[in-house]
Amino acid sequence: MNRRSYLKNIFIITGIGAVSLSVFKGFELVRPFDIRDLEKKRDVLAELAEIIIPETATPGAKSAMVHDYIINVMINCNLPKQQRRFFSGLEDLEEYSLNNYTKKFLNCTSAEKHDILEYFSLQSGYSNRTLDKIDNKLFGTPFFIKLRQLTVEGFCQSQLGATKALAYDYIPQTFEGCISLKPNQKSWATK
Amino acid sequence: MYISDKNVRLNTYDAIVIGSGISGGWAAMELCKKGLKTLLLERGRDVKHNQDYPTAMLNPWDFELGFNNTLKDVEMNPIQSIARGPAEKHFYVNDTDHPYIQEKPFNWFRGYHVGGRSLTWGRQCYRLSDLDFEANLKDGIAVDWPIRYKDIAPWYSYVETHIGVSGQKENLAQLPDGEFLSPMELNCIEKHLGDSIKKNDQNRLLTIARVANLTRGWDNRGPCQNRNLCSRGCPFGGYFSSNSSTIPAAMATGNLTLRPFSIVTEILYDEHKKKAKGVRIIDALTNEVLEFYSKIVFVNASTIATAGLLLNSTSSRFPNGFGNDSNQVGHNLMDHHSSAGATGMHEGYQDMYYKGRRPSGFLIPRFKNLKDNENLSFKRGYNIQGHGERQEWMDKANALTGFGKDFKQQLTTPGPWTVWMAGWGECLPYYENQVTLDAQLKDKWGQPLLKIDFSFKENESNMMTDIHDTSAEILETAGFKNVGPFNYNRPGGSTIHEMGTARMGNDPKTSVLNKFNQMHEVNNVFITDGSCMTSSACQNPSLTYMALTARACGYAYDQLKKGIL
Repeated sequence: MNRRSYLKNIFIITGIGAVSLSVFKGFELVRPFDIRDLEKKRDVLAELAEIIIPETATPGAKSAMVHDYIINVMINCNLPKQQRRFFSGLEDLEEYSLNNYTKKFLNCTSAEKHDILEYFSLQSGYSNRTLDKIDNKLFGTPFFIKLRQLTVEGFCQSQLGATKALAYDYIPQTFEGCISLKPNQKSWATK
Repeated sequence: MYISDKNVRLNTYDAIVIGSGISGGWAAMELCKKGLKTLLLERGRDVKHNQDYPTAMLNPWDFELGFNNTLKDVEMNPIQSIARGPAEKHFYVNDTDHPYIQEKPFNWFRGYHVGGRSLTWGRQCYRLSDLDFEANLKDGIAVDWPIRYKDIAPWYSYVETHIGVSGQKENLAQLPDGEFLSPMELNCIEKHLGDSIKKNDQNRLLTIARVANLTRGWDNRGPCQNRNLCSRGCPFGGYFSSNSSTIPAAMATGNLTLRPFSIVTEILYDEHKKKAKGVRIIDALTNEVLEFYSKIVFVNASTIATAGLLLNSTSSRFPNGFGNDSNQVGHNLMDHHSSAGATGMHEGYQDMYYKGRRPSGFLIPRFKNLKDNENLSFKRGYNIQGHGERQEWMDKANALTGFGKDFKQQLTTPGPWTVWMAGWGECLPYYENQVTLDAQLKDKWGQPLLKIDFSFKENESNMMTDIHDTSAEILETAGFKNVGPFNYNRPGGSTIHEMGTARMGNDPKTSVLNKFNQMHEVNNVFITDGSCMTSSACQNPSLTYMALTARACGYAYDQLKKGIL
């Protein structure tokens, strides 16, 4: 358990007490940030999105420009507390890379990048649904989960994602309710 | 305000229709077809079929922020943004421009433009039956409906034949069959569920939804292309709306004058003739106050707005509001509840899929309280509406773990079959559920703000508990796994089936309208939107509004011809 989630645990377990809040605040809630600075982290986001949805026989997140989607949606459609959590999560990831691999995230090897993201994926959330709920309500969705959500949304609704990685039927004309699944059938892109 | 004789002549019509939504469009068409010069007033902008559906042909990637509303938008539109995304935003009002007061949480979803909510409606078309028309009398609740099924049945047929309803005949007393185009098709899991329901209880069945989506070309529209983007407006005319059907038909007669940006503030009463002489409006663009006159007035402003208009139309004869001697105007507000239901997952049919996006689901017609002695903890009943599908990326995204190749592979292939279903339940009419005018607060046109005071009560909450348990039981019996019953507990208004604020009844002392939707106290005013409903039944109500409208138009024209009006 790292310092932050340790403090968060204390905070949540002791309830919404003024004392613990001030302790927590001291470390995270007042760290200054400007969400528009996400633009400066475009390359890192592109790399992260590609690790989540890599290019295979079909295009991956990077070529679908999912990082631009993530930045746009985070800036325009998310509450400040969510922006804060996302931004500081991203900064933590960069910091973790420097501390543990002594290089910037973008300079890490593929395997190292994978391990770093895995570390953060395991950090996201408690193993307790109630705690998760309280946590999400107070501070927004954890960094990795939000990153993955936005990556999925951005990718599956992009032209490349919808038409190449999924099956996009622009004007179906007819509805067939019960047909055999074809070999390697892809999911429909839209409902 | 000075109005010259010439202006009076210019501003005089045979009929005025207030509101161009699903019932107003019908009133306009019917009256125009009968040869009446008709003025159709709409408070918002014009929306022309096909020309004004800007998002109808867009792809998901054409929306820069996906289907997320912006923070700013949500802040400006805290209510409307619950119901719509950026793809339908232009068919919903701006909450900041059109505020209302919630005494208790109430979602009032609105579309102020030509066509109103007929553009965004759910298109479900179900007839009421005598089980519904007799219910108030039997239970001693509110007042008796002044009509029975036989009075409205031919008008249901008339309306269905015009709008085009796809559906399956099932020969049920509680849900009469209509004039149907061929039904849409159930998918594998829905058929499976239907088979299980039929096998386990011979009084229950599952049928394809009856919807105003065309399964063949009809009235120069359609067929439906199975895009499931109805609420953006359909360039194929695949579903019925005022814009695609009744308004163009009214226009074609040469008798229609459509006047958008016309906020009707009052119905004017002629103390000598004891009739309505017309209406006063504010032009939303110029703020000019104008009057229009007519022999008859149809009020189709939608339940809550109609109540507000009547309450705002005071005179020495009607100090409490137009035609409101009964003091029932604004009261008895109802909305169906649709918060309770269940979801489940099925492990079968792994090798089966579907093609196309059917814009409808299934219906389990009402099966409770069909008899008198069922001893349930609630009166009346509910039907269950839902749909089956295989999990797609949006359903799987949060349930999958990890990331990378395997994650992508799972994300982009069909998941297990699931069913979501919920009970659409009857809401009883309670006098205290009401719409009033605020004494102080005004909107930007100086009109009093509407105050909505509504809550579901014990009967509705007991019914929701039954839906919750019964839905889960139905799915479990059909072999579904991970069955999750739910109750979203959404506030009133969420089903967008407001009704009851100017109810029909036999007695002028306890109701506002007679059996022809004619005001008891002002015989040249007819109200045929949802406000006329004496009880809510559990069926989606638009079809009934349309049938009552057509019926009232026939009656009004007849009376006019006979010189009675």
